[in-house]
Amino acid sequence: MNKNFLEIKNVSFRAGGKTKVKNVSFNIENKGDIICLLGPSGVGKTTILRTIAGLEKIKSGSIRLKDKMLSSSKDHVEPENRNISLSFQENSLFPHYTVEKNIHLGSQAKKPNGKKKISSNKIIKLLNIEKILSKYPHQISAGEAQRAALARSLVTQPDLLLLDEPLSNVDQSFKEEIQVQLKKLLHDLKITTIIVTHDSYEAFYLGSKCGVILNDQLKQYDDPYNVYHFPNSVEVVKFLNRGILIPAKVTGENSLENEDLGTIKGNFIKHYPKGSNVKLLLQPEDLEHDDKSNLKLEVVDRKFRGTNFIYTLKTTTNHLIPVLVHSHHIHQHQVDEKFGIKRPIYIDHIVCF
Amino acid sequence: MKFNFWYLSSLSISLIVAIPILTVFTSFFQDTSNYFEILKQTFFFEYIFNSLTLLIGVLFLTFILGVGSAYVVSFYQFPGANFFKWALILSFAVPPYIYAYSLFAFFENYGTAFTILKHLFGDGDYNKHIPKFSGMFGLILSISFSLYAYVYILARSSFLYQSQNLIELGKNLGFSKFKSFHSIILPAARPAIVAGLSLVAMETLAEFGAVDFFSVNTLTTGIYNAWITFDDLAFANRISFFLLLFIFILFLTENLSRKKARYHLEAKGGFKKKEKIKLNGAKSFFAFAFCFTLFFLSFLFPLSQMLYWTIKFPENLTGIQITDLLLNTLYLVSLSSLVLLFFALISNYGNRVSNKKILNALSTFSISGYAIPGVILAIAFITFVAWFDENLIKALGFLSIKKIFIGSVLGLVIVYFVRFYSLAFNGIKSGYEKMNIAVDESAYLLGYSKTKTFLNIHIPYLRNSLLFVIILISLEIIRELPITLILRPFNFETFATTAYISASEDLLEAAAVPSLCLIIIASFFILLTSKYILRDNDE
Repeated sequence: MNKNFLEIKNVSFRAGGKTKVKNVSFNIENKGDIICLLGPSGVGKTTILRTIAGLEKIKSGSIRLKDKMLSSSKDHVEPENRNISLSFQENSLFPHYTVEKNIHLGSQAKKPNGKKKISSNKIIKLLNIEKILSKYPHQISAGEAQRAALARSLVTQPDLLLLDEPLSNVDQSFKEEIQVQLKKLLHDLKITTIIVTHDSYEAFYLGSKCGVILNDQLKQYDDPYNVYHFPNSVEVVKFLNRGILIPAKVTGENSLENEDLGTIKGNFIKHYPKGSNVKLLLQPEDLEHDDKSNLKLEVVDRKFRGTNFIYTLKTTTNHLIPVLVHSHHIHQHQVDEKFGIKRPIYIDHIVCF
Repeated sequence: MKFNFWYLSSLSISLIVAIPILTVFTSFFQDTSNYFEILKQTFFFEYIFNSLTLLIGVLFLTFILGVGSAYVVSFYQFPGANFFKWALILSFAVPPYIYAYSLFAFFENYGTAFTILKHLFGDGDYNKHIPKFSGMFGLILSISFSLYAYVYILARSSFLYQSQNLIELGKNLGFSKFKSFHSIILPAARPAIVAGLSLVAMETLAEFGAVDFFSVNTLTTGIYNAWITFDDLAFANRISFFLLLFIFILFLTENLSRKKARYHLEAKGGFKKKEKIKLNGAKSFFAFAFCFTLFFLSFLFPLSQMLYWTIKFPENLTGIQITDLLLNTLYLVSLSSLVLLFFALISNYGNRVSNKKILNALSTFSISGYAIPGVILAIAFITFVAWFDENLIKALGFLSIKKIFIGSVLGLVIVYFVRFYSLAFNGIKSGYEKMNIAVDESAYLLGYSKTKTFLNIHIPYLRNSLLFVIILISLEIIRELPITLILRPFNFETFATTAYISASEDLLEAAAVPSLCLIIIASFFILLTSKYILRDNDE
């Protein structure tokens, strides 16, 4: 008996005769877990969902759900027999039926075995689509269509729910609210879900685990905190785009030296021998601002992010370093001004490559 | 490999439809009687010359009439513009052969024109002043007035989507109206116009009734004569081969143009919608006069000529069994529509779910039946049945099956099927193209099987497309002449065959009643579909 709820083992995902993502393995351990797959557009995230749903076949590896073999080089359970629901990124509502009828078709189609039936009204209310029930898909916005399709998927009470960029067409102002509602809803219904997104904030919020897909591979599959703070490759760092890599030399068990910043102390997450030349990951929150510090760098850019500013500083060796400052900080620095960095520099977890 | 019902069904349908087409090609290499040698020396070049002359004449006239009327109706607002928008497609209700009867009868010696002049001005020698429209010229006029609507519909739909920006660009560059039309509007609509002209060309080369009536020897009548008069099927097929080569070039041109035209239509998003220019005074009158004259000549004229004869010779009303003709016509229409719809639906769905390149290629080939003249298809069908009967059925010791297929409703429906399969297939395909494949996948993921998806999701979605296809097929079958003439059972007549037989016996007055009935029924079907044909929901 396999203990994992979903097990994907050495699968190469293919679409249109081409391999999109190679040799992927990951598990969802428990029923009700939500995991997110992150990656840039066109990397093959959707292909992974389509394959798990049974819309694409595999040539190697295996996919098992609740210990039942769904796909392998020999087996292929048809999509209609998997009890997996996929909510597409584009409008996939039946164009000739109203939103209400679309949702109703979902609740009609699959009869959950021994499951407590979910009230479609509850889902409709939660997704805030009461007002569009009598409308046809062409009469509603893309965001509304996505929510309607999501409602249709949810009422089927699938064993596994696959959401492809579920909120990509939802207004920014409404997005966070929907994210909260969606997470609560999935949690309440205990629906195991895989969400595909290119928005790392969305993935970090919704997923209990995150997979990062880059260059045909699943690069990292871990807790959101670890993916952000302990990226396992330069590609992941670059994709998340929240830090830079600067050259440094390991000087001790918990210290290293950089030409511009001097001594940096902290805890290495991986051991490097003394004297090694490494690339140190500096994330915006790693350095602290201090006006009184004698370590001054030039401001070349300033981004206002509401709760904070991200200053981009130029070092003497022409590296651009991001530094985060609370937006209520007593004063602001302009471009071309000097900006002080607190010393000694201490980074809680030092990530090097 | 797993048995795939949809794939195999689709493949079989396409193969069956392709048989008569393949028969025509293969029969090119069969022996023929001496007639071929005689004809090679004499009539063959006349056939080709006449076919080319006819083609050029009709293309020129339909271009002027179709593009001219489409331009006036699309760009200008004048009294009656909204009426003419759909009234101009009514000419479809008048097949070229009925137009030919009207044209001939109106201008012949002591014909309708003579009677009108006599009533107006008393007795006189009017015959020598009345022009005669017969032979090639009459034929070109008859076909052009009947078919110009192909160019009108496609050019108009292309003009409709030309953006205001494009028109304003012309003004901004200081172009005159003529220069704007010539340098901007016309080139932008070119793919649509070429597509319309290609359809006209295919129909012209396939035309049998009018060509036969005016006794012009073209490739089509040559095929018919080779078969009827000289009983030489192989030679009929050999002329068919030349005609087919001709038509396949046109078919390819049309297909390529259509692709471009569709691209043009899809580019409408983001375009500023065009506002019609309001015409006043003389300009308004000329626009009205142009459209009215066209409407009159293409529709009212043949309609009134047939109506006039029907009233003048009421005995013809009792001479034919209108109810029988109507029932026969409706019987063929309903049976063929059902068969066509059923197989076109299965084939389309099979193509959609299996998504195999070979199937798509075969489907494209099998729908080329529409480009093949009815005469050729009918003869190819007879050739195939005869070959099959001789080489397989009789060889195996069974009784001949010829009678089951030749001179029977079954044979007729099969050949209609091959001829009009592309109408049904493409009509349903265009409905399917509007449906995202994610819709199917959503249905599977909701637990629907392929059959359930087809029945519960696709059929309700395609309802309007299916209705449109039924009406289009009906319209074609009501007007169809050569296939019905060649393959119909003994004593089984339709309005089209009755009109043709009366006309070929020089009883034009007797052809009036069935012709009038045909025009009225066809007009009714056109009015039912005008919304789809004109794409007014896009306006």
